[in-house]
Amino acid sequence: MSFDLSLITESIPKMLAGIGITFQLMFLSAVLGLILAVILLLMRISGKWYLSWPAQVHIYIFRGTPILVQIFIIYYGLPQFEFIRDSVFWPILREPFGCAVLALTLNTGAYVSEILRGGVLGVDRGVLEAGSALGLSARQKFIYLTTPIATRLALPAYSNDFISLMKATSLASTITLLDMTGIARTIVAQTFAPYEVFISLAIIYMILTWIIQKSFGRIEKYLSRYVNP
Amino acid sequence: MDAVTGWWDDYFWGSMIVLQVFFFSLLLMVLFGLIGAAAKLSDNRLAQKIAGAYTVIFRGTPEILVILLLYFGSAITLTAIAQMFDPDIKFIDVPPMWAGTIAIALIVGSYATETFRGAFLGVKPGSIEAARALGMSNLQTFIYIRIPEMWRLALPPFGNHMLSLIKDTALISIIGLNETFFVAKQAIGTTGEPFTMYIVVGCIYLAFSTIITLSVMGMEKFGARTGEGAR
Amino acid sequence: MTNPTSDALIQMINVDKFFGEFQALTNINLEVKRGEKIVICGPSGSGKSTLIRCINRLEEHSAGRIIIDGKELTDQVKDIDAVRREVGMVFQSFNLFPHMTIVKNLMLAQQLVRKIPKAEAHKTAMHFLERVKIPEQANKYPVQLSGGQQQRVAIARALCMKPEIILFDEPTSALDPEMINEVLEVMTDLAKEGMTMICVTHEMGFARSVADRVIFMDAGEIVEEAEPEIFFNSPKSARTKAFLSQILTH
Repeated sequence: MSFDLSLITESIPKMLAGIGITFQLMFLSAVLGLILAVILLLMRISGKWYLSWPAQVHIYIFRGTPILVQIFIIYYGLPQFEFIRDSVFWPILREPFGCAVLALTLNTGAYVSEILRGGVLGVDRGVLEAGSALGLSARQKFIYLTTPIATRLALPAYSNDFISLMKATSLASTITLLDMTGIARTIVAQTFAPYEVFISLAIIYMILTWIIQKSFGRIEKYLSRYVNP
Repeated sequence: MDAVTGWWDDYFWGSMIVLQVFFFSLLLMVLFGLIGAAAKLSDNRLAQKIAGAYTVIFRGTPEILVILLLYFGSAITLTAIAQMFDPDIKFIDVPPMWAGTIAIALIVGSYATETFRGAFLGVKPGSIEAARALGMSNLQTFIYIRIPEMWRLALPPFGNHMLSLIKDTALISIIGLNETFFVAKQAIGTTGEPFTMYIVVGCIYLAFSTIITLSVMGMEKFGARTGEGAR
Repeated sequence: MTNPTSDALIQMINVDKFFGEFQALTNINLEVKRGEKIVICGPSGSGKSTLIRCINRLEEHSAGRIIIDGKELTDQVKDIDAVRREVGMVFQSFNLFPHMTIVKNLMLAQQLVRKIPKAEAHKTAMHFLERVKIPEQANKYPVQLSGGQQQRVAIARALCMKPEIILFDEPTSALDPEMINEVLEVMTDLAKEGMTMICVTHEMGFARSVADRVIFMDAGEIVEEAEPEIFFNSPKSARTKAFLSQILTH
């Protein structure tokens, strides 16, 4: 057994060809997931049971089951039904890419919604009372007080979830998508050199993790300017 | 749901495998986490560096990649070693269960390292000083003050680590572990009902997650009660 | 029943407040005239904070009537907002908006609630910062200020809304001793200018020199109500005497 350096230099560019898919999966799901998370959060704190229950059920299911199962149910499971195959969503659900984005969005939306809720609950009650005493409406308090303060409180946990999402994009390779991991698995199947290929890929992912951490660190520092000025 | 009839047995044994992997990986995860935390808290710089690298690597790499690497990597390493003794050996297969169990324990253990470290550092110095001032020995302080306090701090994230472990067992099906996911794939081959079969898998995992969540909540209540008594 | 259209700015008529089973306020009757300064004191848990929090509906009273400047506090959001515009409040823990600079703290409600244009809101904000003697802190964040300075900002923030009444909920309790006087000075100045004030406080010196009436509460009831001279020199109730002997001897 030897470590084949030339194989590494050959396979890295091949794997990087899949970074576009990795990024697309990551950013699309992150944006859509954040929107979903905010909607779920608003439903949960609406105080109306018919809004809060569905949100809680969604969160419970998507946090309680493996993301792999969610991906498979959407990609392999849904086409079992004819009405899905006849629906307007079929062009999206037919493609592994669409299914992966949908699964990642539903999944990250559930987690992020809980993170945001933690931020909202962390806002000092006194600050909100001061808002009430000054005559701000519930809506104005939410926009001008809760949102900016909760965002700062939720950011560290959100950055961790973003990294989890980035790592979860690699599961798209299980439904035939050729993201970086998908390409790596193809190369390993051909060359049977798991060390060279997988370790190189692991390093690429670690660099991405590091970049995400640093970027969020910057944002955090900016948002915390009023805490440690 | 008629299609599932006839597969319940297989799902049951698949669930048992999930439990088995969960149990062993939980033990290993705690072990890795404690070693990692001890190394990070130690005065030995090399130990600190190694533990630091451990957490960076396993928290920065996708879970599936760690599993694949450990499975195929250990297979070829073992094959190479075996071939030194007997050149006729073609290939040694490593049981996916063990490669997978160790892989997910390593991954979640890297998160547990931070949890244990944080819990150790999170104990208020005041409580420790107070205990020493009352004449308690180092050991007594550790047992009566530090451990209960650490337990209270570490329990909520530890519950999340257990949830990660149970969910990560599903990933081991990728390298051929015959747990529920694998059963579903077989069942789909004969019944042609993928949705039904994967939903069953989802329900099984949801049940496991629920049990873990409820037990952690119970333990937290217990911890809160003793915490109040101590106050 | 008392006529709601009397000249009182605040009327509380037979007000009860329950937190679940616990009765926090029992049959409170209180009238405050325009320009009056009231100090409320009493042991902790006596309901004095709850009482003033009911006046701007941070707590909802369970029974009875509360009428502020002719407007009765009901479940109607409109009525509550109308009342809150008239009633300023200063909290024990300042409760400045941590993510906004001092001057923005003072401008926010002016712009959102009173719909005052930005430039004018800024002018008003600076005017009141000067009144509380810290205009130079305008562009800092709350965390950069001392407790006493933060509380003076909180008072200025309430004043920016041009309220009819200001409620003070133990405004000096969270302050280091050396900062208490700077806040009391600002409050005394306000009183001299004729602002209607209700202060929950244990600062008996302030009560003596500023209050028109001192109210003593215990166990959710108003036990005694008198001018400071009478209240401090010849209290009627045994409970008042016991409380005063505790608070004045240290």
